[in-house]
Amino acid sequence: MQRNRPPSPQTINVLRALAADPARWRYGYDLATEVHLKSGSLYPILVRLADRGLLETSWEPGRGSRPPRHLYRLTLTGREFVAALTAARVDRTTLNPHNRWSEA
Amino acid sequence: MLGGLFFVPMLGLLGIMIALYRRNPRRFLDGPTEDAPLRLMRWAVGLLSPQRVEWGQAMLGELGHLEGRIRRMRFALGCVGAALVLPPWGRAAAGVWAMIVLAAGAVGLYGGMAARYRLGGGGWIAAAILTVFVIGVLLGASALVRRPGVAIPGLLGGLFITVTWLTLSGFTFLDQILPNTVPWHRLVQVIVVPFVVGAAGTLWGRDPIVGKRIARLAAMTGSLGLFVYTSIAVAAIGGGGPFDEDGGGTLRGTISDRLGNNLILLAFTTLVVATIGWGGAAAAGRLLRRTPPPTVPGPISPDSETQQEA
Repeated sequence: MQRNRPPSPQTINVLRALAADPARWRYGYDLATEVHLKSGSLYPILVRLADRGLLETSWEPGRGSRPPRHLYRLTLTGREFVAALTAARVDRTTLNPHNRWSEA
Repeated sequence: MLGGLFFVPMLGLLGIMIALYRRNPRRFLDGPTEDAPLRLMRWAVGLLSPQRVEWGQAMLGELGHLEGRIRRMRFALGCVGAALVLPPWGRAAAGVWAMIVLAAGAVGLYGGMAARYRLGGGGWIAAAILTVFVIGVLLGASALVRRPGVAIPGLLGGLFITVTWLTLSGFTFLDQILPNTVPWHRLVQVIVVPFVVGAAGTLWGRDPIVGKRIARLAAMTGSLGLFVYTSIAVAAIGGGGPFDEDGGGTLRGTISDRLGNNLILLAFTTLVVATIGWGGAAAAGRLLRRTPPPTVPGPISPDSETQQEA
């Protein structure tokens, strides 16, 4: 059974980082550095997003002795989810300017 | 007697070192060919369920593009944490919950008695040591139960160790407080049973590596089970029976001494049972390698018949 809990602030940060340039494929380490998350927090978030169909993954072929690298970007559903999230935040901020939970 | 038994784990560890050297002398002398973060990551990726294998490869791939020992190690440690908690766990979840219940029982009982009998700073330091030890056991067990074919035989092995130990030492609480064990009982408890568990693990999994993991998990669960039982015995009897001279002949000293004995027994049984079980698994692995697999005649294709005729 899949639970639809509201996303955590860390998940929202990852979604926003991915939504900044939705067409671009991102590396895990770069993403972790950008949102100031450790790999131990980032990968479970990426796994959950992929399980919910919000994230698509791909492999960049390895070069020389370097192994193949995993790439990530938002799916169309993911982009719509981030848009809905942003709209909900705007509504909530308009209704109650003191309740800016998503910026926590 | 107990002092003499401390030589057993030392001899066991020496045996393991010799076995490792004989298996690959070059690696033993030259050191590993891969750096620590990569080895750590490979180990962690092995813990992931089959549905998450791609994510393990993703972590390994990312590590392959990172430079700098500290940066690589930090990344690998984070991934190890992720691999340890990443669902789905399947049957392993039941094993981990069983271990958590045992561990919570062990720490809870010790802490409860330290508070009830006001054992003071020493008692709380011992409780803290126990907590750290138990957390280490839990982490080790949570990694082991996720390996294929280890959870159920490992937990059953632990149960077998606990039941055999209690059968030989006596099931009553007083038997636990004032053990009156004959030497051959100790031999069976400390050597024979762990060896059998390790060997049975290898035969169960048809692989000495699986057998060693089963032996380690059995050692952890069995020792924790014994500790909980002996702690219940101390809680039930309290200051009953003769006061310990080692504890200064007082109630508080007696309780403290009995709890301390349990703590030493926990560390001792975990180490010894795991070591001897490891040896049993390795010995059974050697027997397995010597036993030739049954020859099954393969299907005869028309081509092979033609070749044979030619």
